[in-house]
Amino acid sequence: MSVHTHNKAIGSCGTRAGRGGGKAIGGGTGAISRRQLLAATAAGGGLLAAPLVVPARALGLAGEVAPSERIVLGGIGIGGRGSGVLNWMMAEKDVQMVAVCDAKRVARQRVKQTVDKHYGTTDCKTYSDIRQFLAERSDIDAVLIATGDRWHALASVMAMRAGKDVYSEKPSSMTIAEGRMVVETANRYRRIYQTGTQRLSEANFIFCIEMARSGRLGKIHTAYAHIAPWDAAEMRHDWLPAEPEPPKDEVDWDQWLGPCPWRPYNRTYVGGGWRGHYDFHTSCIGEWGAHTFAQAQMGIGAERTAAVVYHYVNNTTGDGMVTEFANGVKMILSRGDKYWRGSCGMRFDGTEGWVSAADGYSKPEVSKPELLADFDKIVRDYVERTGHVMNHVRDFFNSVKSRRPTVANPEVMHYSMSTVHAANVCMWLKRDVRYDPVKEQFVDDAEANRFLSRAMREPWTY
Amino acid sequence: MFMTIGYALLGSSLLLAADKSLSQTVPPEGKQAEARLIAVLQSADTSQKDKADACRQLAIVGTKQAVPVLAGLLADEKLSHMARYALEPIPDPAVDDALRDALGKLKGRLLVGVIVSVGVRRDAQAVPALVKLLEDPDSDVAQAAARALGSIGTLEAAKALRAALGKAADADRQLAICEGLLRAAENLAAKGDRDSARGIYDQLAALPKLPRHVRTAALQGKLTVSGKQ
Repeated sequence: MSVHTHNKAIGSCGTRAGRGGGKAIGGGTGAISRRQLLAATAAGGGLLAAPLVVPARALGLAGEVAPSERIVLGGIGIGGRGSGVLNWMMAEKDVQMVAVCDAKRVARQRVKQTVDKHYGTTDCKTYSDIRQFLAERSDIDAVLIATGDRWHALASVMAMRAGKDVYSEKPSSMTIAEGRMVVETANRYRRIYQTGTQRLSEANFIFCIEMARSGRLGKIHTAYAHIAPWDAAEMRHDWLPAEPEPPKDEVDWDQWLGPCPWRPYNRTYVGGGWRGHYDFHTSCIGEWGAHTFAQAQMGIGAERTAAVVYHYVNNTTGDGMVTEFANGVKMILSRGDKYWRGSCGMRFDGTEGWVSAADGYSKPEVSKPELLADFDKIVRDYVERTGHVMNHVRDFFNSVKSRRPTVANPEVMHYSMSTVHAANVCMWLKRDVRYDPVKEQFVDDAEANRFLSRAMREPWTY
Repeated sequence: MFMTIGYALLGSSLLLAADKSLSQTVPPEGKQAEARLIAVLQSADTSQKDKADACRQLAIVGTKQAVPVLAGLLADEKLSHMARYALEPIPDPAVDDALRDALGKLKGRLLVGVIVSVGVRRDAQAVPALVKLLEDPDSDVAQAAARALGSIGTLEAAKALRAALGKAADADRQLAICEGLLRAAENLAAKGDRDSARGIYDQLAALPKLPRHVRTAALQGKLTVSGKQ
């Protein structure tokens, strides 16, 4: 596995010097390569006696991870949420962030400052073109993708095709076809992939899932999944007023749009106002359903399938939509706080009781206190049985090293997002739909099947 | 992505400002709507936005009737993508005829787009035209053709890709051909032709200097079709 066997950049962040012959330490002019350093050290330590200051991190001393054991990380489209995940990742001692790619100059400069400050260097390399970034950085093992929704799947495919492992923010696909291409690419190249459904690595949610899976709640008949309390299922197709397009180096608008239909530039889009637009977003259902459907489906043993029936509700959001799985369990979409208090809530109802959780809970809510008695043991047993730790980015990095599937692997992402997309189609067509998760098509429904994919704008290609 | 209250308010205000007529609503009368949408595309006075919206709607209700006017837009730099956006989901062989015809007329970025759509639709009749494009001077065109051939995944497509593998002019082309071959092998194996799939994996695995993940893919594929995994 490359993480263990390849020479890795030591704070080099884009330094091209020394490729194939050892990476430069420090990255500046006259820097010495790690290979030279190691050779000299082996020969008697003469170099170490010279007045050269080498950080402990570079040598794997003082509890630091040796460079050859580090996962070299790059970032694609790191905005607000992405910055939070990036800081989370850089706190892992066996991770070295080295470069960022973003169509927006201000964004890539901000990330560079964050990374450089973290490592005390000026080395983080910036790129504006994803193709150049992936072509040039063969040293990078894994990428964090935190663009808007429109780029998640394609960037993941491009990165995996370039040999990278991928942590992608959610919602990780815009259509069912996009999700399938992520699964196919990950399987084809045996790449590690984790979607950013971090509640699948949090104790309260795992406890609920385990309670449902294990039969402690009796036979589960209903799961409830939170959808975002803003925006709607129907999305806009209008264009915001055209504004002068900035210089390409400032905002590469063509790159920002990526595979989506062209429209004139407006700064609102690149400032985060792309949400709610059909071309860029997966609606209020996708916004949180990307999390909560994955949580619910895991609890009812449906992480390798999608809901098969979707009952239309006559409102604008999908609130109250009843979906049915082939195993007979219903999943109900809920927008408010009827079943929980907090964001991204979930609840399982069984014949012997119920359990629910949402963000901010100290412990899950249960129908009877005794259900919580084994909380610690249930979570601990889950970790021991699955090997998935209660830290979503750590779970990803563990898999990068072990090559074992992550908790939110491509199939988990794809099938939960298939339920998201089918629920959206149900709302857009304003009628019930049936979906076949094996054929990945709507059943006897040519009209609905028109929504399975969207043509990518040239030159972007799967 | 967890959104802040600020984003929520922004989203709400934008939603209120949206024109309801532009929402994702399927026109109620398919054929009448299609005729009206075709007329929008044919009008010289219609804006790019209105034509793009017509293409969106034709993606949902379009039939064979809409194909000629959409095909006419494939060479239009501003509307070529939206024409494909409408054409790709229309389940009529007239679409394949139109896309195949465009393969011989377009160049550069627009040609890449059409190649991608041909691959998405898995049009086996397009294989000869795509094979010619494997040696196109435009590397983007050649790469798109290689991937599309893999998606189509017939024996003829696989043979062409195998022949092209040793003749790739640059590393990017070679990687695209490898990707095409891997896709073709998967498609052939899915159809029961494991021997052909194994031949592809053997050829890839024997190549020197392949990137590690491509070699892994070839070896993994070989194990899979051999029933060892």
